[in-house]
Amino acid sequence: MDVELYSILLLPLCSAAIIALFLRSSKWGGATVSVTSAGIALAMAVAAMLSDAKIEAFESRHVLFSLGDFSMNFGVLFDPAAMNMLFVVCFVGFLIHVFSVGYMDKDPCKGRFFAGMSFFMFSMTGLVLSSNLFMMFVFWELVGFSSYALIAHYADTEAARAASKKAFIVNRVGDVGFLLGIIFCQAKFGTTSFSELSQILSQNPSQASTLMGLLLLCGFLGKSAQFPLQVWLPDAMAGPTPVSALIHAATMVAAGVFMLVRLSAVGMLAPDVLDTVAILCALMAFFAGLWALGQNDIKKILAYSTLAHLGLMGVGVSLGYDLAMYHLTMHAFFKATLFLVAGSIIHACCHEQDIYKMGGLFRRMPLTSFVGLLASLSIIAIPYFSGYYSKEAILAASFGKAHITGAVFDQIVFWLVMGAALLTPIYMGRLFFNVFLGKPNSEKAANAKESGIFMILPLLVLGIYSLAGGWSFAYDIFWLDGKMDGLLPSAATQFVGNMLEVHMPALESVQGAGLLAKLALSLTVLGLLAAYFLYGRNRGYDTLQRNVPILYDALKQHGWFDSLYDWYVAKVQQRFAVLLATFADMFLIELLFVRGIGAFCAVIGYGIKGLHVCSANSQVRWFAAGALLLFLLFVAF
Amino acid sequence: MSDIINQFLAPALMLFITGFVGAMLKRNLISLFMCVELMLCGAMLALLSFASAYDDMRGGVFTFFILTIAAAEVAVGLAILTRLFSVAKSVSGNNLGNLRD
Repeated sequence: MDVELYSILLLPLCSAAIIALFLRSSKWGGATVSVTSAGIALAMAVAAMLSDAKIEAFESRHVLFSLGDFSMNFGVLFDPAAMNMLFVVCFVGFLIHVFSVGYMDKDPCKGRFFAGMSFFMFSMTGLVLSSNLFMMFVFWELVGFSSYALIAHYADTEAARAASKKAFIVNRVGDVGFLLGIIFCQAKFGTTSFSELSQILSQNPSQASTLMGLLLLCGFLGKSAQFPLQVWLPDAMAGPTPVSALIHAATMVAAGVFMLVRLSAVGMLAPDVLDTVAILCALMAFFAGLWALGQNDIKKILAYSTLAHLGLMGVGVSLGYDLAMYHLTMHAFFKATLFLVAGSIIHACCHEQDIYKMGGLFRRMPLTSFVGLLASLSIIAIPYFSGYYSKEAILAASFGKAHITGAVFDQIVFWLVMGAALLTPIYMGRLFFNVFLGKPNSEKAANAKESGIFMILPLLVLGIYSLAGGWSFAYDIFWLDGKMDGLLPSAATQFVGNMLEVHMPALESVQGAGLLAKLALSLTVLGLLAAYFLYGRNRGYDTLQRNVPILYDALKQHGWFDSLYDWYVAKVQQRFAVLLATFADMFLIELLFVRGIGAFCAVIGYGIKGLHVCSANSQVRWFAAGALLLFLLFVAF
Repeated sequence: MSDIINQFLAPALMLFITGFVGAMLKRNLISLFMCVELMLCGAMLALLSFASAYDDMRGGVFTFFILTIAAAEVAVGLAILTRLFSVAKSVSGNNLGNLRD
């Protein structure tokens, strides 16, 4: 097992190295190597999961280096949570690799792009398989670097350069807290291995410290772009669309959630930390949905939708980490699909991204549009689509918690989540009606043609998963001797499935649960109707923007966070930096320490020089005096 | 035994003091040099007197070494003095401040 897992991990790294070293300028070489490596990695991951119907968690550990008592371990932990995540990463990753072959066909820097994609696959696999927090942090930073490098793919545009820097720097802010939390954990428990932490904390759950949890939470806030570090994700859409689909929708941003799931599963997150997660993420889920209405760029709308759904996953972590993993998996399917649909459209419309310049694409790109319809129905939680099951479970759990505790706090979280569930159909309806229905609003859209086979095939497969991916979790559809569960290997579904079997009856028995399902569905329908009346007639402009420009501009500013941070950087941080530069650096260090020491020595030197006389006789006298002094000293002691 | 010490130590002390006072007072570097040699002579005489008083070879041997080194020192020292004279046109020890600044 060790060898197989390490090959899954190292194969994409080899691919990245080969492409970066030899195939940078090759026309198809980079794509071939990268797609092949992703395909083999997927095949090996699935083979590992199919090797047995019920795989025990597998852990291996190698000491990387040791310093005194501390030893840095490098190991893989292949437990149900990792299997679930690994399947998502390898499967969605492979399909997006195939899609990229079609999408990037005319790009002059294909080699660099595919090397970056392979490197990302390596980092993400490492993150998923990490058996301890230090190793997770290493790969955590590597995925951050891949994200930075791939956002900056179109580095000749100012937007892409700025966005990549922003993504990197904002992530650093969160990672400082994460690293401090890891060090705190190592100092307190003497280990960061998940299995050992689990043992320690299962014996004594009260040892989970709030401060440590909050510090580790910072990493999640940065990586998964939650309050208050969400500003980088919408800008990151400046990267190529497959990158947005793979990194900024399906996998990397979900790595923050995966980290919380890991920590929550070992019991590291104290109840008040989970409450913090709940309120921050519920706010994000609601407001990101609102802000999506203020964007005209198809990718930015999807980016805000990603923020909202990451928020839902965060709420899921606070209610039961299996729910978060459930929604993470479903979200990876339908959001990757939506991004690939967007990519297919953008490619067909010659890089036009404004939804008000599209329109009428259902007739011109039927397959893409059909898959887009499937994924849209999935994201707005229409029954029997995969998004329905996980969203419904989170809503039910949130309702159940609010019902049981009766606390105002839980009520607020529940209503925010309900608000998010209402907003999803509105912004998705706005996107769908304007892009696919009506008549084309620009020449580019009028001339759009269906994309090629490399883009359509992955879209169709992902479309099927957006429709039916949830069935594997919600029902028992075992085949191949129980090794497959619906469309997924049963090894990948057991993490969520086992927990759901425990939780779901409790959720369904809460009074009013049936009413809740009806309420959620009617909210969805209400949202769709609202979207139709507001945006449905494909006017080629935004109704809100035309009629209530103040409200639209307020939404477009997405909470004025960018302005706030700009103000902070220019007015607070810059001044502090100037103060540091003048006082600490120029005055204290340069003037006082460096030049000061020189001046001190010079003054002493001048004093001593005065003692030197230019006469041999007085030197003899000094010598005699010195000898006398030494003699006296010897006599005295 | 004490006779020998009394007979020879007093001249040795006198030699040393003469050399020392001279070294402190003489301006001419050659005189100063000779005064240093005088102090060495005083020290060697004292060594020899103790050596013969205690019937010990070591004082004598030590003196040989001092003499040898003094000879070498004189050779070097006089060479320095001649160079100094050719540069400064004087062998006075009063303005040897070139290395100070």
